[in-house]
Amino acid sequence: MWELLVRSLEASTIFLLAALGELLNQRSGILNVGLEGLMLFGGTLAFIAAQTTGSYGLGFLAGLAIGGLLGLAHGFFSITMRGDQVVSGMGLWILSFGLTTYIGNPYTGPLGMPRIPSIFGLSPFVYLAFALVVAVWLLLYHTGLGLAIRSVGENPAAAEASGINVAITRYLCVVLGGMLAGLSGATYTLSYNPVWNYNFLMGWGFVSLALVFFSMWNPWILLVGALLFGMTWQLSLSPELLLPGILSRYVWRAVPFATTIVILALISTPWFRTRWGLAKPEALGQPYAKE
Amino acid sequence: MVRFPFTHPEPEEPLLAARGITKRFPGVLALHRVDLDVKAGEIHAVLGQNGAGKTTLMNILFGLLQPDEGQLYFRGQRVHFRSPHDALAMGISMVHQTRKLVSAHSVLENILLGHPGTRGFLNLRTIRREVEELCHRYGFTVDLGAKVWQLSEGEKQWVEILKALYGGAKILILDEPTSVLTPPEVKTLMASLQALVQDHGVTVILVTHKLPIVTAISHTVTVLRSGTVVARLRTCEATEQLLVQHMIGQDISSYSISDLLVEKGRPLLRVEHLSAYNDKGVLSLRGVTFSLHEGEILGIAGVTGNGQEELVQVLAGLRPPASGRVLFDGRDVTWLSPLDRWRMGIGYIPAERYEIASVATLTLVENAALNFHFDPLFSRRGLFNHPGLEKVTRHILSHYRVKAPHLYAQARHLSGGNLQKLIVGRVLARKPKLLIAHLPTQGLDVEATAFLRGKLLEAKAGGAAVLLISEDLDEILSLSDWVAPIYEGRFVAILPREGADAETVGAMMAGLRREEAGVS
Ligand SMILES: Nc1ncnc2c1ncn2[C@@H]1O[C@H](COP(=O)(O)OP(=O)(O)O)[C@@H](O)[C@H]1O
Ligand SMILES: [Mg+2]
Repeated sequence: MWELLVRSLEASTIFLLAALGELLNQRSGILNVGLEGLMLFGGTLAFIAAQTTGSYGLGFLAGLAIGGLLGLAHGFFSITMRGDQVVSGMGLWILSFGLTTYIGNPYTGPLGMPRIPSIFGLSPFVYLAFALVVAVWLLLYHTGLGLAIRSVGENPAAAEASGINVAITRYLCVVLGGMLAGLSGATYTLSYNPVWNYNFLMGWGFVSLALVFFSMWNPWILLVGALLFGMTWQLSLSPELLLPGILSRYVWRAVPFATTIVILALISTPWFRTRWGLAKPEALGQPYAKE
Repeated sequence: MVRFPFTHPEPEEPLLAARGITKRFPGVLALHRVDLDVKAGEIHAVLGQNGAGKTTLMNILFGLLQPDEGQLYFRGQRVHFRSPHDALAMGISMVHQTRKLVSAHSVLENILLGHPGTRGFLNLRTIRREVEELCHRYGFTVDLGAKVWQLSEGEKQWVEILKALYGGAKILILDEPTSVLTPPEVKTLMASLQALVQDHGVTVILVTHKLPIVTAISHTVTVLRSGTVVARLRTCEATEQLLVQHMIGQDISSYSISDLLVEKGRPLLRVEHLSAYNDKGVLSLRGVTFSLHEGEILGIAGVTGNGQEELVQVLAGLRPPASGRVLFDGRDVTWLSPLDRWRMGIGYIPAERYEIASVATLTLVENAALNFHFDPLFSRRGLFNHPGLEKVTRHILSHYRVKAPHLYAQARHLSGGNLQKLIVGRVLARKPKLLIAHLPTQGLDVEATAFLRGKLLEAKAGGAAVLLISEDLDEILSLSDWVAPIYEGRFVAILPREGADAETVGAMMAGLRREEAGVS
């Protein structure tokens, strides 16, 4: 039971880090559906860097750097080139999927380094992720910069007329968001499951993306969602920790997806839809051109 | 008598000056070598017809647009505004014609957005107190915690003004600030602007196409026509007539509409306790009841956003009513489809010319067909009868004086006035028994406006019942037989034309009830 809880929290951490980054992106109006790609790349390069240098620090640095870089690339297509953000995001995912498979292939297998020491029985990244929820909330709702970010995502023309530089604000968010996605991938391959395999994520990034939508762009609801999903996800991976021998593991594997369907059904009720519509950054996914 | 070029008697240096500003948009010369001198402590009116280039010029002064040629000077120093940020840093603020507010955010958040004092952590309590003090000092009342989307258009404008003042504006540019205000609100605004200038040393640039406002409060006026400055005078030396001449470029005294005597026909439309929700799920039409006879015009006067849109859409079949019913020609049509309504003779001129009334990328013939496609005359076994449609289109173009390159030009290439003439012509060509005209002349030039108003009167003379929804009080009063001021989804009253004067109706548009508005 305790073990399941610990593993669940660690799984939640992966979702949370990536989703927080995506939330920051989306609050500024930029949709990055290639989140999974950023995580794959971050995880792979972090794994390789850590294994070749023997330093976790350099590993995480590599993950952060590549995440930020890919975020920057997405920013270039969607902010400067005003391209279609879905196309750019999907492109990033496909590119990352292919490239990481190619680059990482020789490194297939376990990391082979001593595990990162835990703090009070939990991976330090759990604490980090929780702290980041608070940080993002403070940033968005209690700083001038956060107000600028939210305004840029709602109505960039109004922000521009208030003297805000829309492009710079959005670039800041895509780079920070990308770094968080990279960190999430690195946490996966260096701490949560330190074994490299091609396409090791198998959908974690897409779940994180969906979590952002479920959260109504609110970091606290996002935290709850990530905990819930971490739990069901972990349960589906290792049901024997809680209920050994009950039901086939393939039934358990379906739990997160069933949860998703329930949440989708809830979200599609009129009560929720109006609230969701109000919470959604109005300029999300739309390129902004100065007048 | 043209007073241009004009020499200024005072050698005083202008606070903000534009020299030789030229701005081109694809296919349009919006501004041509425009000079503007704004002196400290004055209310400087910029007057011009729609499309004269006023907004473009202001956007350049505010850094939202860059001029193709020309320079700006602030206190005699050459300045470059690459973005509003630079203009704001000099104390130049702008209240835009199209609101630039974040509707999902609170009033307070909108006011402090972009304020230089809000780097780092926000001390919302202190900021709130500062803004409240500011409100107090200038005599505004705004609920700082309300979300902007909950506000009326007039309140939103106060928020923008407050935002400018909180940002420490020394020069305040207001672009058509009165277009969304009720007459009493206009008075308040004018008084506030005068107080700002006299007591607080703010300089105001007031952009408008409304003469009474110019003559009432401005000190200096610059008149723009088709992108050039045609006059620059001191208001005390100008008369309304002279300004109109400059603005329009010709003398127009013959635009008043002669009264047509029309025999009142039988009752045609009866609306009972009609209510409807708006897109946000708020009940914004709240129980409207009226009836209308053939050959009558009912003018619904109100500031946009008081339920007119929902009323019109319910009557046109585009929005389900929440309750109530609609009887047309003795039949209950409450739940009929738009097509059935067209067939029964309900004609609808939507307010949104480019978005709803026409399809911008279709040709004029196809757009004319929008109200005819179901007519067996024009489609044979589902195929269009092009010669027939061309004939109708040609008829509309000539009878409604639509200036268009050719029949197969795209609708988006027509100017607003010409497109509206095509739309009105198309609807009237079906000889509707009931005509719903929603903001039929909004934003059009004097000529098109007078022409279309004449057409509405012609329709009435032909026995049609007309429902005219307008923000323009003059329009309502000059055309209607009945006047119904609408406020927050209800008719404040339904007055016969003789019993309705501008003052009373204006007060009712602002929500004052009969007694308060001074009607017995
Ligand atoms: N962004 C734009 N792109 C193309 N044409 C424009 C744009 N903005 C304004 N125009 C054109 O420039 C002219 C002046 O417009 P504007 O400054 O809005 O006039 P006003 O404010 O006096 O009504 C008009 O012909 C208008 O169609
Ligand atoms: Mg304008």
